[in-house]
Amino acid sequence: MELRQDRMTHKERLQALLNYQKPDRVPIFGMASTFYMINCGHTLTELQTDPQKAFNAMQWSCEQYNWQPLWEHLAHTVLGSWDFGAKMKMPDSPYAMTIAVETNAVQTEDDVWNLRMPDSKTAGAIPKRIEFCRLQDKAGWPVVFFSRSPFNMGADICGVQQFARWLVRKPQLCDQLIRMALEHSLNVLQYWVDTFGAEKVVYMMSSPSEANQIFSPKHVQKYALPYHREFHQRMRAMGVNKFMFHICGEQNLNLPYLAEFASSADGWSHPSILSFGHEVDLEDAAKYFPDDIIMGNVEPAIFQAGTSQQAYEHCRMCLEKGRKIRGGFILAPGCALPPKSPPYNAWMMTKAVNDFGWYE
Amino acid sequence: MPSEERTQELIKGLYDAVVDMDEEAAADLSRTILREGIDVYQAVVNGLTAAMEKVGELYTSQEYFVPELLLCSDALYAGLDILRPHIKADETETKGQIVIGVVEGDIHDIGKNLVKIMFDAAGWTVHDLGKDVKLERFAEEQQRTKADIVALSALMTTSMVAIPKVIQMVKAQDPNIAVIVGGAPLTREIARSYGADGYADNAGEAVAETTNMLNQLKKSAS
Amino acid sequence: MTNKERIEALLSGQPVDRVPLYPFILGFSAKNVGYPLATIYSDPRRSFEAQLWTQEQYGFDWGPVYGYASYGTWEFEGKIKMPENDYEQAPSHTIFPVQSEEDIDRLELPDVTADGCLPLAMEFARLQAKQGTPITLVIGGNFTIAGNICPVDKLCRWVLKKPELAHRILHLATDHIVDAARYWADTFGGERVITQIWEPLASNDIISPSQFERFVLPYMQESGEKILSMGVKHIFYHICGEQNLNLPYWTQLPMGDPGICSIGSQIEITTAIEYLGDKAIIAGNIEPHILQMGTPQQVYELCQRAIEAGKKALRGFMLMSGCETPPDTPSCNVYMMKKAIDDFGWY
Repeated sequence: MELRQDRMTHKERLQALLNYQKPDRVPIFGMASTFYMINCGHTLTELQTDPQKAFNAMQWSCEQYNWQPLWEHLAHTVLGSWDFGAKMKMPDSPYAMTIAVETNAVQTEDDVWNLRMPDSKTAGAIPKRIEFCRLQDKAGWPVVFFSRSPFNMGADICGVQQFARWLVRKPQLCDQLIRMALEHSLNVLQYWVDTFGAEKVVYMMSSPSEANQIFSPKHVQKYALPYHREFHQRMRAMGVNKFMFHICGEQNLNLPYLAEFASSADGWSHPSILSFGHEVDLEDAAKYFPDDIIMGNVEPAIFQAGTSQQAYEHCRMCLEKGRKIRGGFILAPGCALPPKSPPYNAWMMTKAVNDFGWYE
Repeated sequence: MPSEERTQELIKGLYDAVVDMDEEAAADLSRTILREGIDVYQAVVNGLTAAMEKVGELYTSQEYFVPELLLCSDALYAGLDILRPHIKADETETKGQIVIGVVEGDIHDIGKNLVKIMFDAAGWTVHDLGKDVKLERFAEEQQRTKADIVALSALMTTSMVAIPKVIQMVKAQDPNIAVIVGGAPLTREIARSYGADGYADNAGEAVAETTNMLNQLKKSAS
Repeated sequence: MTNKERIEALLSGQPVDRVPLYPFILGFSAKNVGYPLATIYSDPRRSFEAQLWTQEQYGFDWGPVYGYASYGTWEFEGKIKMPENDYEQAPSHTIFPVQSEEDIDRLELPDVTADGCLPLAMEFARLQAKQGTPITLVIGGNFTIAGNICPVDKLCRWVLKKPELAHRILHLATDHIVDAARYWADTFGGERVITQIWEPLASNDIISPSQFERFVLPYMQESGEKILSMGVKHIFYHICGEQNLNLPYWTQLPMGDPGICSIGSQIEITTAIEYLGDKAIIAGNIEPHILQMGTPQQVYELCQRAIEAGKKALRGFMLMSGCETPPDTPSCNVYMMKKAIDDFGWY
């Protein structure tokens, strides 16, 4: 089967979306940093330790599947756990996907107040991440800075379960952790801006721990949003305007608050790229965020555990809704593409866009 | 001998303490229950267990979220730790035994912990293997404890592929052991294709689903 | 050109637009689409679709094929088992039909319509016919079937100590190959069938070239002549493994016009062209180990070298793995084969 010939490059296609223009076809974003590694015969530990291998894997895999390589991320630049001194372990089992926390940096209330700000150049994975970004820069791509939201990162410092308890009982502890997470993220962002220039930096944020599977929308509104607001103010003051937000998981109850923030003067610049999990209907996402590019949202487990027909059909359904979105649409999995997805299932995104994703 | 009215007052107080996440009140009331000679078993079942059923409903209906659930469980255990040792021997018949854990490669255990709490509260004996559990440990622990059920949790698509292997290992030792699974990337359909006997969408549903599953298995065995 | 046009042009000696990519991707196809490995051998419909989808995804030419190296055991009333765990690649023998000299007397020619995997293979062939892809009968080779009827170490002992026993088994294997080919030719028309003869057990890692001359060559000559007399136009010989010393004998085999000879990495493409290039399309010879363990860059460079050598083949060249592509081959490495063709394989 010969796929239809693209009439635009990946860069032109993305730029069209960012200019609110129709591209030739719907772009595809893999969200697939771990899948790329397996796709090229590398290990998930190498994703963390070998930026060159990870970059090559991303480049080759995006070429293979004809997916968008620009704005694609590697792994988190800053980590609430690792950066603040948690004991970590590399993926060491066939069932492990990423680095995991063995012991949290913060376990007691005293630990919160004694916590020190990490070094913005050497903590955690930062040295490896900047190496990766240098490769993106060398290739003429924007460099992607990826972090959790301040609220999420704060929770990662002490572990979500402890954070959840403190949020009800002693919210000042959570405030302190979120504050430190925010300051650290911005310190490291400054390092990126100093190294590459603000205009080259794409800031990608994800917020899985803000999902309503864990926290109520009232908690998100009270404790997460103020930090989103401050974060965007200070990020824009640095000159960083390119923003991508992975609104992960069940966040339907948060959407009204996020939408209110997004449309305010303090909100993110438009269009930004907002990606959603399968839990949020694309039409709802478009309704709440009319000025942004919507990305998503095929359920990741379908790629791994479903048949190729199911994967294809789910992609088709997303395209049916997504191509009508006025602000623009990118087809993607609803969260990270599972690394063990059969390659043919992953390729269904390519085939579905070929069959249903062209704008005539 | 406490009056029926006083008994109900204290048990209701205990119930409210758990639902209202009041750890201190749960502990105080439990001590009062002991001091006043209230039926401990009744207090546990109608106070603590019933309260956690209510908490489960509130969670399923998205009135309570994880923080609330955790704090309710703290209150539950504050009471249970005081009352449980005083339950009479003939009243300690357990609803069942369950081995629970998060499969190898996965360290996300909130869901598993919440499910464990629900089973504890409901009077099950829970053997918690923790998180990132080597696959063979589930079958080993089931054999050691003679548990009726094995419950598996996975949050990641990478770790969920371990589930069918664990199910195979468990059933190779005893095909009559029932396995229930849960976790974000799973669906009832995937659970079935993996060979699981049951699936719970969230902690609130886990106990009911398991009880149903066990009853069905007993029915088909007889 | 479409895939079909390209293969038809290649087989009829017409110019092609680019080097075709031949799919030796049985177990890989299963993993690629998420099917259990065993379905490639036990379920014709799913095997066909897994291979077809995989070929579509990566841009392979030709079409799905059905076959495995331990063919002959089951057909002659031994037992095989399907691959089960992560370390098994294909069906394997569990009980050989012949374990002692006396067992040879009990051997009978299989019923090609009913025995062993043949009904599955025929079901598969009907799918090939329906799809319009080449109708390929994978069978043998003669010595390999003999080594699947009785354990190869026993066969080797008999080759030296009791050659008459080896010859008896080889006769039966040869007759069976002809029977099966005739069944396929009668069902689809000889001109539409391509027989594929896999001969891994005839490699010089097992037998000497002089043993090849006595125990392989005459039998393959006999079956080859008979197959061509049925109207079959092309015989595809998979010259598996280290067979450099056997090449002078391979040139003597009837192949059709042209034949097709696939080689492993042990034989240089230039050497294969030297010996066989005037009568056969050469296919190969990407080392499977590199496909499985190498980086995409390494695979790409290996394919580039193979294409640059193979393009000089007189009767044509197909890029192919030197033996079956390992099921666990990283997807990107398989993609690199087509990428190398896109970059270097155009005429």
